[in-house]
Amino acid sequence: MAPTVEVVQKQCGHPEWEEPFVVNMGPQHPSTHGVLRLYLELDGENVVKCDPRIGYLHRGVEKLSENMTYTQAMILTDRLDYISSAANNVGYCLAVEKLLGLEVPRRARLLRTIVCEMARISSHLLWLATHALDIGAMTVFLYCFRDREWLLDIYEKICGARLTVSYPRVGGVRLDFTSEIIDELYKFTEEFPSRILDYETLIDVNRIWLKRTKGIAVISAEKAVNLGLTGPSLRGSGVPYDVRKFKPYDAYDEVEFEVPVGKIGDTYDRYRVRMEELRQANRIIRQCLDKLSETEGEPVVAEEAPDLLMPEKKKTPQAVPHPKKGFLVKGAEVPVVPEGEVYVSIEAPKGELGYYIVSDGSGKPWRVRVRAPSFVHISSIPELIKGHMVADLIAVIGTLDVVLGECDR
Amino acid sequence: MSLTKTIFLTEIAKGLALTLKKLFSRPVTVQYPEERKPVAPGFRGRHALVRDPETGRDRCIGCMRCAKVCPSQCIYIETERDPETKRRVVTKYEIEALRCVYCGYCEEVCPVNAIVLTEFYEYVGYTREDLYFDRERLLKNWDEFIVTQKRPYFNPFWRPRGIPEKMLPAPKRKAEGV
Repeated sequence: MAPTVEVVQKQCGHPEWEEPFVVNMGPQHPSTHGVLRLYLELDGENVVKCDPRIGYLHRGVEKLSENMTYTQAMILTDRLDYISSAANNVGYCLAVEKLLGLEVPRRARLLRTIVCEMARISSHLLWLATHALDIGAMTVFLYCFRDREWLLDIYEKICGARLTVSYPRVGGVRLDFTSEIIDELYKFTEEFPSRILDYETLIDVNRIWLKRTKGIAVISAEKAVNLGLTGPSLRGSGVPYDVRKFKPYDAYDEVEFEVPVGKIGDTYDRYRVRMEELRQANRIIRQCLDKLSETEGEPVVAEEAPDLLMPEKKKTPQAVPHPKKGFLVKGAEVPVVPEGEVYVSIEAPKGELGYYIVSDGSGKPWRVRVRAPSFVHISSIPELIKGHMVADLIAVIGTLDVVLGECDR
Repeated sequence: MSLTKTIFLTEIAKGLALTLKKLFSRPVTVQYPEERKPVAPGFRGRHALVRDPETGRDRCIGCMRCAKVCPSQCIYIETERDPETKRRVVTKYEIEALRCVYCGYCEEVCPVNAIVLTEFYEYVGYTREDLYFDRERLLKNWDEFIVTQKRPYFNPFWRPRGIPEKMLPAPKRKAEGV
């Protein structure tokens, strides 16, 4: 509910004003990274009230999943956070695998870890590019997109698509890497650290960048936890929470990496955390590539994984008690996906991405709920913008790294 | 930041030096309509029905697996029984390309490798009907695509790398290029 005129007048400290100056930022504003609409009440350049209005990209992903089989619904998760679609796919597949009680082969786990970290690099590069562009650094934007293009080309070689990859599947991944892809990835991991240095040369100590980011949108660790922030936005405040460390999935328990944290939790600290994450992601890819040679020739899908078609029922031999003949072995029909409910969360590039799936044994999910980090992050914008100006709002939206496809679902 | 660094704009000079260095390196821009990047094998682009070199027709047997697995339900197939040979005959095979999400499930589940997402991606139409591919159009798509390829052509999704033999239907296990 919008506040009454009296309340705003009191907040503004200008009782002579009859009504607040109201501005709608978005949904078509280039710096809102999608279709975020912010209802702003301004006092000159100071933001008095900020009210995010979401829902412009609502496609009903959760509801649509209820009428699809488990494999079909995975295609929808590509379109949640479309910048890091591989990470979304992996999270969904992990949830369904937990429901099925499936063990994924080691090679598939390594491949998934590689594509997840590639998604993290590509997501963070896009974040750095647009965040820097919003604040006023044009060159970084071009350099980041150059390197992101390289990653997307590798994705194309891996699975035939650049953005909506649909690479993992329930029980593993859809295709194995070729040696050509592994060579290309080795080349990338060799080259990438020097590229990170290039970005840092441009903006790390640049005085304009420092003035726009230092001390902007400071959030204490306690407040960040209370607001439900996750991912780099939380780690920027100094809380070393990372799902990859706390509840390792896929091959994260086999690799070594550090969880970078910030100190005071301003925009600059979050920037530093993400830059460090780029290096760590590069390190993880390198380690996984080294381990891939140990699993050469192994299958990439678990043998007991369900078919892509995902039939509703499958026949299994079952002993049926018979009054005269003792026990008979009969082909009983059991649901492919048993009844039950699971929650699985992964460390997506934006934060903690969770999938809650309820199955009633019908072959289609009864309910799918996505815990999207961007949704939570958008709700913290009014808290972060307190006492700042309109120009800082751009930095705040950029630093939270929100994607509206995931927020509105 | 120390005073000398502030006065002499060192960090800005360093940044400018980097961009100046890049001025003399090879540009990465691809001048799109004139130059093209090579498309990776297995790229999921425009749909086609494989024309069998022996019969000159498509290979579809009308098993409906692709229509069932399609998440966007954009494949329409109609079949009927031939009264003489008692075999299933496909009478209609249509793909509505505008609904397709290019996941590639159809080419992965097809037991006879009849359908393929080709590496051709530059196609547009003025009306919805232009992108509503019927059987003849899908075969024509294949003819247009295959002349640009090295024979025999084999799509990675026809027999995905690293999938256990047990999970593949028999014709897919011994599938060969076209």
